[in-house]
Amino acid sequence: MSEHAARLLAVPPVVPASRTAAAAGGSHRVRIVDGALECLARQGTSKTTVDDIARRAGVSRATVYRVFPGGKVEVIAAVVDTEMARLFSALGASMGAADTLSDVLVNGITEAYTRITTHPALTYLVEHEPEVVLGHLAFDESNRLLATATRFVGPFLARWMDPEESARVAEWSARIVLSYCISPSARTDLADRRQARTLVETFVLPGIRALRAPDASDPIDLNRYAADHRAGGPTA
Amino acid sequence: MVVDTRQRIIEATYACVARWGLAKTTVEDAAREANVSRATVYRHFPGGRDELIHDVVSWEFLAFFLRLYEEVQEATSLEAVMERGIRFAHRSIVEHEVLQRVMQTEPETLLPTLTLESNRIREAIAEFLLPYLLQHGMAEGVDPTQAADFLARMVLSYMASPGRWDLDDPGQVRQLVREELLAGVVVGPEPRGAPGT
Repeated sequence: MSEHAARLLAVPPVVPASRTAAAAGGSHRVRIVDGALECLARQGTSKTTVDDIARRAGVSRATVYRVFPGGKVEVIAAVVDTEMARLFSALGASMGAADTLSDVLVNGITEAYTRITTHPALTYLVEHEPEVVLGHLAFDESNRLLATATRFVGPFLARWMDPEESARVAEWSARIVLSYCISPSARTDLADRRQARTLVETFVLPGIRALRAPDASDPIDLNRYAADHRAGGPTA
Repeated sequence: MVVDTRQRIIEATYACVARWGLAKTTVEDAAREANVSRATVYRHFPGGRDELIHDVVSWEFLAFFLRLYEEVQEATSLEAVMERGIRFAHRSIVEHEVLQRVMQTEPETLLPTLTLESNRIREAIAEFLLPYLLQHGMAEGVDPTQAADFLARMVLSYMASPGRWDLDDPGQVRQLVREELLAGVVVGPEPRGAPGT
């Protein structure tokens, strides 16, 4: 149970509950996955039964088992995969739309922080079944999570730095998001773009500059504006 | 001697945990190990087993940070404090047999308490770093309290999950601290000059 449910950690809410499940009229599989997500947001993993999932999805218990022979564990795994993909696709869209290094980092940090901290299922789990989530945030599991985030985020930094530097900065950013998600700060709200920008520009960009300072022949141009490559303007 | 009995029970419980793990340690085990009655354990820990386990985790966590505190006492500069602290904490975690075993077998029992405690510890680390930051001199426009909180968060993050860094390598830790963590926080840590544009 905790194996899959805990992977919810990196997960966002994209589709409002009202638009999901039976209302969407999708295939059985879609309805079951959406229904399970709603169940998790209302009662967490341990209290959610296959009956609950079936009821919310508007299908029979037998249908759930026909589509997911592994039952609850398999449904939850599909929910986690779906939510992870939503998080990463939202992150990609947000970072990909940025034209300066500062914007890439601010967009990524704000997007990830907001989605993780407002995700209904994840919020419920953190509150009521913290052990389900926390296992993935400590020690070896956290290293794995950082590695996944680094592989995904690194390429978005490729316009400004080489792959080694990108990986380093990507991992650093992922640490920042995780730290503030696990223990939110009263002083710094990363959901607020302005505050996230202050944090990035105060603490992160100087560290990135230091990667090549002081004798670099090709210093990193933090504000390189790739207007010639992009039609769209920078994001607000 | 109320304090001594309580302490003895905690230490006895820790011995049980080291032997059998968190889940298998019972109030009876702790009482037997401490040579006290079950009633005595309940008198000191009215919440029973849950309270006992929670307090043992807190106790060992605090002990770990007292060792860390001692380790960095002699360091005189901000850089040295952070480098020694990160290296020592990393080694302590890797070499902590009980912690490693419990993390393997029953992380779900340990982690909620550990996470709660790490919030308190983060504040303690930030408080500890603050005078070093002020002594070093802050970069323009950087709020010392906010910087201390940020650094404490990062120290905790790296010590628990080194990620791509080899924290046994003093050169890497030096690079991590000086070029990454402190670059924006303090005025030009040697040997770097003014930051570029």
